[in-house]
Amino acid sequence: MINDEEFLDERIKVIATFGGGLNPCTPLKFRRASGREVTITEIGLRHPVAQGRRMVHVFDVTDGQADYRIELDTERLVWHLTRESSDGGI
Amino acid sequence: MEAYNSAKPLIMHIDLNSCFATVEQQARVRLRGRPVAVVNRRTDQTMIVACSYEAKAMGVKLGMKLREARLLCPGLIGVESDPAKYRYVYHKLLDIMNDYSAHVTMKSIDEGVIDFTQAPKSIVEQGLESIGNEIKQRLRDEIGCAMRCNVGIATNRFLAKTAAGLHKPDGLDIITHENLRDIYSTLQLTDLTGIAERNEQRLNAVGIMTPLQFLDTSADILHSMVFGSINGEQWHQRLRGWEVDDVTTETKRVGRQYVLDGFNLSFDEILQRLHHLCESVGSRMRYQGLSARGIYVGTRTFGMTGDKRRNYWHASYVAQTPFFSNETIYALARRLFMDAPPNIRDINVHCYLLQREEPSQISLFADQIVRERAVTNAVDEINERYGEHTLHAADTLPTSNLVKTKIPFGSTRYL
Repeated sequence: MINDEEFLDERIKVIATFGGGLNPCTPLKFRRASGREVTITEIGLRHPVAQGRRMVHVFDVTDGQADYRIELDTERLVWHLTRESSDGGI
Repeated sequence: MEAYNSAKPLIMHIDLNSCFATVEQQARVRLRGRPVAVVNRRTDQTMIVACSYEAKAMGVKLGMKLREARLLCPGLIGVESDPAKYRYVYHKLLDIMNDYSAHVTMKSIDEGVIDFTQAPKSIVEQGLESIGNEIKQRLRDEIGCAMRCNVGIATNRFLAKTAAGLHKPDGLDIITHENLRDIYSTLQLTDLTGIAERNEQRLNAVGIMTPLQFLDTSADILHSMVFGSINGEQWHQRLRGWEVDDVTTETKRVGRQYVLDGFNLSFDEILQRLHHLCESVGSRMRYQGLSARGIYVGTRTFGMTGDKRRNYWHASYVAQTPFFSNETIYALARRLFMDAPPNIRDINVHCYLLQREEPSQISLFADQIVRERAVTNAVDEINERYGEHTLHAADTLPTSNLVKTKIPFGSTRYL
């Protein structure tokens, strides 16, 4: 065990803006399966990951209390919460 | 004595600072300002492959085990490496660099060189120092505010890299013929790229103890008494700012190495991992349009002696006709591996004597090769469509989550 990161595969609902510029997609807030809402205060990094020909955009974000990884599957247009870490590390 | 190169410095070396740790700090906001170590496995027995400046300040070094590093730095946060993230940053850096010159060479996943010698006049007139600062700003704007890089500018690749290492993190330095001696006077021999312990000993043996003494040594002495080869003349020119490192290297081998995930694995379990590596090597080789004639298998073992050479076993085989399929690679590797000693610590497979895939001569077994090619192409197409290792040999099923692709140090061929 090297840290307290949790690996998840939780379907979430996300409010995001889509526009132009360097960061065309900006997730603002997401609601977890439990109903808890998380307001994103900063996007650390967005990077694409190709799963075969399917592209998933991975967003590392924080709400100031914990770091989260949320993923947008561009083929199915669904969002998942895949990681959560309260100490910042994994 | 040959003169220093007094031309305008037009080579720029860009080096991302503590790249993997910085990218992790960029991605995970709450890691910023904290000591971070990037490791390849989620265990504290694993070796550190990158660490943040905060960790370095506490004495943490690359190659330490995470558990040992935590004795020096109790708050050290271990982060598992995430190659997809580093590949993304690599491509962003490459895109930025390509905006300034058509002559960009990435030296590894976290450093590259821009050659401005043939760049448009407008770019050169902007001044390389200004371009260096612009690139630093663009990294922050286009990737994130935590990204920093070192920029070195000089007349050749060697001095540009040396300049990039002078003021870490986030430095920008220029080495010219005018400040060359001053810069060398602040360095140790081993600060020079290419001078590690062995070359340092060679230099020390003839009384060269500092970079300045190295600089002042004639090409003849460097050739005849230090390096015993053309390397002597090359060092003589390199140190003076003349370009000798603008060479492209071709792929001579394609391979993978894997440190076993347990040290009490049965021989069959090790063979499964070997098979997985062979599939990965085959895929990489075909991705480059290559086939091979040579195969090499090596292992390091837990030995009773401290002598690393005695704890290393290897075997190789050269086939008469080129091979390309996962099945053939594994069949050959497996045959060699049957002679491997017990107590294996890691396995290493690579293919060599590479050539373009089309066979140059018609083989007696042409039909068989055509069938093998068709099956291999079909498997590759499925894996390309649905993701790496979607279709694979049944016995590698348990290894899918174990033998992950890790950070490709030193090579940018698969990025």
